[in-house]
Amino acid sequence: MAARRKAPRARTKAAREFVSEVEEILERLRSDLADLADERARGALDPERTNRLFRSAHTLKGLSGMFGLDEVTQLAHHLEDILDGLRLGRLGPDAPALDLLDESVEWIASLLTQLGEAGALDAPPQGLQQLIDRIREKLEASPRPATSTSLAGLEESVLRALTEYEEHRLHENLRLGRCLLLVEQSFPMLAFEEGLAELTRAVRDAGEVISTLPAPGGSPEAEIRFSLLAASELDDPAARVRLEVPQAEVRVLREAAGGTPAAGASSAERSATPPPPSPAAPAELESLKSISDTVRVDIRKLDEVMNLVGELVIQRGALGALATRLRADPATARAGAELAGLHKHIDRKLQDLQAGVLEARMVPMRQVFEKLSRVVRRLRRDSGKEVKLEIRGGDTELDKLLVEELVDPLMHVVRNAFDHAIETPDERSAAGKPREGCIRLEAFQRGHHVVVRVSDDGRGIDTDAILARAIADGSVGTDAHLSRKEVLDLVFQPGLSTSAEVSATSGRGVGMDIVRENAAALGGSVGIESEPGAGTSISLTLPITLAIIQALAVRVGSQRFAVPLTSVLETLQISPAEIQHSQGRELLRLRGEPLWLRRVHAEFELPPPAPDANLAVVVVALGDARVGLLVDQLEEQQDAVIKPIQGPIGSVRGIAGATDLGARGTVLVMDVAALAEDTLRRREVA
Amino acid sequence: MSDATAGGTGTQSWDALARAAGTKPAPRAELRRELLLLGIGDDLYALPVERVREIVRSRDLTPLPRVPAAVRGVISLRGEVLQVIDLRRRLGLPEGSGLAPRRQRIVVLHTAEAQLAGLWVDRVSQVMRVLESQMISPNTGQGELVEALCPLDERFVSLLDVDRLLDLDQE
Repeated sequence: MAARRKAPRARTKAAREFVSEVEEILERLRSDLADLADERARGALDPERTNRLFRSAHTLKGLSGMFGLDEVTQLAHHLEDILDGLRLGRLGPDAPALDLLDESVEWIASLLTQLGEAGALDAPPQGLQQLIDRIREKLEASPRPATSTSLAGLEESVLRALTEYEEHRLHENLRLGRCLLLVEQSFPMLAFEEGLAELTRAVRDAGEVISTLPAPGGSPEAEIRFSLLAASELDDPAARVRLEVPQAEVRVLREAAGGTPAAGASSAERSATPPPPSPAAPAELESLKSISDTVRVDIRKLDEVMNLVGELVIQRGALGALATRLRADPATARAGAELAGLHKHIDRKLQDLQAGVLEARMVPMRQVFEKLSRVVRRLRRDSGKEVKLEIRGGDTELDKLLVEELVDPLMHVVRNAFDHAIETPDERSAAGKPREGCIRLEAFQRGHHVVVRVSDDGRGIDTDAILARAIADGSVGTDAHLSRKEVLDLVFQPGLSTSAEVSATSGRGVGMDIVRENAAALGGSVGIESEPGAGTSISLTLPITLAIIQALAVRVGSQRFAVPLTSVLETLQISPAEIQHSQGRELLRLRGEPLWLRRVHAEFELPPPAPDANLAVVVVALGDARVGLLVDQLEEQQDAVIKPIQGPIGSVRGIAGATDLGARGTVLVMDVAALAEDTLRRREVA
Repeated sequence: MSDATAGGTGTQSWDALARAAGTKPAPRAELRRELLLLGIGDDLYALPVERVREIVRSRDLTPLPRVPAAVRGVISLRGEVLQVIDLRRRLGLPEGSGLAPRRQRIVVLHTAEAQLAGLWVDRVSQVMRVLESQMISPNTGQGELVEALCPLDERFVSLLDVDRLLDLDQE
C-alpha cells in the first residue's frame, strides 16, 4: 500500500516543481513584455530585454518538451520565433506583433492551468491553431530588411565577422543616431579574460557593446588583441572609456546625432523622447555563474517551519511560567532567576527567528501590480479609452498567501475604475480635465498592516443615484437620513451590487460586496472615499501576515476562545445596565454611535453569565462597520498559530480554527468576520 | 500497542479471548484482515487496522460548538488539531456508567479526505486476524455502521465501517 502511494506523490512533486518553474518564467515573460510595450511607445527597444524574452521562451520550450506537453512546446517554439525576429530586427515591434506575444503567453498560461486541473488535454484546444497560423503569417509577411554594409570607417573585415544579430544592433543604433565607437586593447594571452571583462564593463557603462572580436593586425606572440564595437548616446563616450581604461585605444567611427537612419532599418516608430540608457548587463565571461542568488521554496515548506516556530513559542511560554514558579519558592529562587535570564535570552532569539521566517514569506506588491497593469493594458487596447496607470510602493511587502488572494479583488476594483469611473476623453475635456484619465495603484505599510489603494481621477460616485436606488429596492427607508459616508458604504451592500444601471451613471462598479467579503476573509477591511467630479479611492487594509497572529484570549462561560487581534478595534468593560434594546436586539451607545452587540455564549450555546455580572465587549471591524461581541471576561494576549480543525465536520460557522496555547490547552479561534457579518445581516433583516 | 494495553486488569478474560483469536493459525491462501479490537461497555467492536494511525490516552477535550452531539470536542496532537467522535454516542448507545477512565482511549483514524479524526472508546485491546470467509454480513440494510460480524469464540465482534462512522452529515 505504501509503495502504491509513493509513486503518484513523486510524480506530483516533480509536476509541482515544473509548474512553479513555469509560473516563474511566465511571470518574467509578462513583466518583460509589459516593459517592451512601454519601450516601444518610447521608440527604442532595450536589446537586453528582447534577448531575455527570447531566452525565457527558449527555456519554456525546453521544459515543456521535457514534460511532453506538446501544445505548450509548440506555442513556446512560435513565441521564440517571434522574439527571434524582433531580436534580429526581421520583425518590427509593431502592435500586432506585441499582441501575438501577449496572446501566446496567455495561451500558455491557460493551457498549463487546464493541464494542472485535468492532468491532460483531451483535444487540442480550439483557437490554438488559429493563433499559430497568425504567427506563421506574421513571420512570413515580414521579410528580412535589406541591410547596407557601406558604413564609413568600419573595415570590411569587421563587418563580415558580425553575426546577424550584431548587424541588426549596429543598424538599430545608427538609426537612433547614436555615437559609434571602436575600442581596442591588447591583453596577455594567458590572462586575457579578466582584462577583457573589465574593458567590456567599462564600455558597457558608456553604452551598448555590439560586438566583441579578436582584432586583426600583428600583435606580439604572447598577446591577444580585442576590438569592441560599441554604440552610445552619451555626448563624449570616448572620453569616458578612456578615463576608465586608459590603456585602450578608442576610435569614434561616427559622431552622435549626426547619423541618418540607415536604409531599410526596422519599422519601429521614432520618438522625440530619448530612450533610457540600457542597464548594464553581466559580461559574457561571467555567464557561467548563476545570475540570480535567490532560492525558490515551496510555500508549504515555509508553513512547516512556521508551525515549528509556533510550537517553540508555546514551549517558551511554559519555560517562563516555570521560571516564575521557581523564583517564588525561596529554596529554588536562585535557579529560578537563572532560568528567567535564559528564558529572556531565548525569547529574544525566538522573536528574531519568527521575524526571519515571516520575512521569507514576504513578496513585494509589485507582483500584483504587474498583473493589474496587464489588465489595464488589455482594457485600454479593447476599449480605446485613454487611461494611464501610476504605480507607487511596489516594494511594499506582504505575505505570499495574502498576495495571491489579493489579485482578484484588486482586479475587480481596477476594472470598475476603468469601466465606470473614468469618463470618455470627450466628457473629460468638457469637464476641464486632461483627456487622459489616471488610475493610481499604491501600497504602503501602516503599523502591522499594509494599505493597498486604488484611486482614479474619474467622475466620482453620485451618492444621490446610489441612495435613490437603495430606496427603490427597499434596502433603505424613504425617511432615512444618511450621511454621505453612510451612503457611500451602501456600495458594499450585496443588494445593490447587481445594478448595472447605477454603475453606469454613478461611477461605481459592481460586486463591491465581494471585494469586502474577500478582504474580511483575509482579516482586513475596505474603505471608500469619493469626491463628485474629482475621483474615487478604495483602500484595502490587510494584516501583513496570517501565519502567526496576536490573539486576545477571552472567556465565555467555562470555555476560552482566541480572537485575532488584527480584527479587534478596541475592548470595553461594561455593566449589564448599559445595554440598550431596539426591536429585541441589543446595542450599546459608543461615543454617540450605535454598536450592535452579539452574545457569544448564545451563539455557541454556552452557559450565560450571571445577570448582574460585568461583561466585556470586543469591538471588531467588518469593513467599515463595527460590531461588539459580548464575552464574560478578557484574558491576556498571546502569539498563536491558527490550525485547521481536522475531522468529519468540515467547518463550523463562527470558528476559524484552533490554536494550541500550551498549558492553556487547545483554544478555538473565533471567526470574527463571520460572527460580525451574521450580526449585521440580522440587523438588516430586522 | 503497549500504550493501549497498559493499565487496568478488569477484563482479563476479554483480553485473553482476543489473544486466542489472534494466534489461531489460518490457511495461507485465504484472505485475512487485521482488526483492532475495542470495547464499549461489554460490547466488542473492531476497526480495520489500516485506518488506524495511533492510539492515545484520553485527555481533556475542547468542546466544539454548533456540531452534532457525537462530536465530543477537539484535541491537539503534535501540532495538529482534530475532532474526536464519541463512539458510544455515535452508535446511539446510552451513556455508560462505572467506566474506568484510565482505560479510555482515543483511536486516531485516517479519514477518507486524508485528514485525521479521533474516536473516543472505553477501551482498546489488541489486533486480531480474521479470515474474510468467516465474516458474516449483518444484513440490516443500508446506512448501518457495522460492516460485518466476526465470530470470536462464543461471541460476535462488530466490524465498524469507518467511512460511515465518520459521515456525520446524516445527523
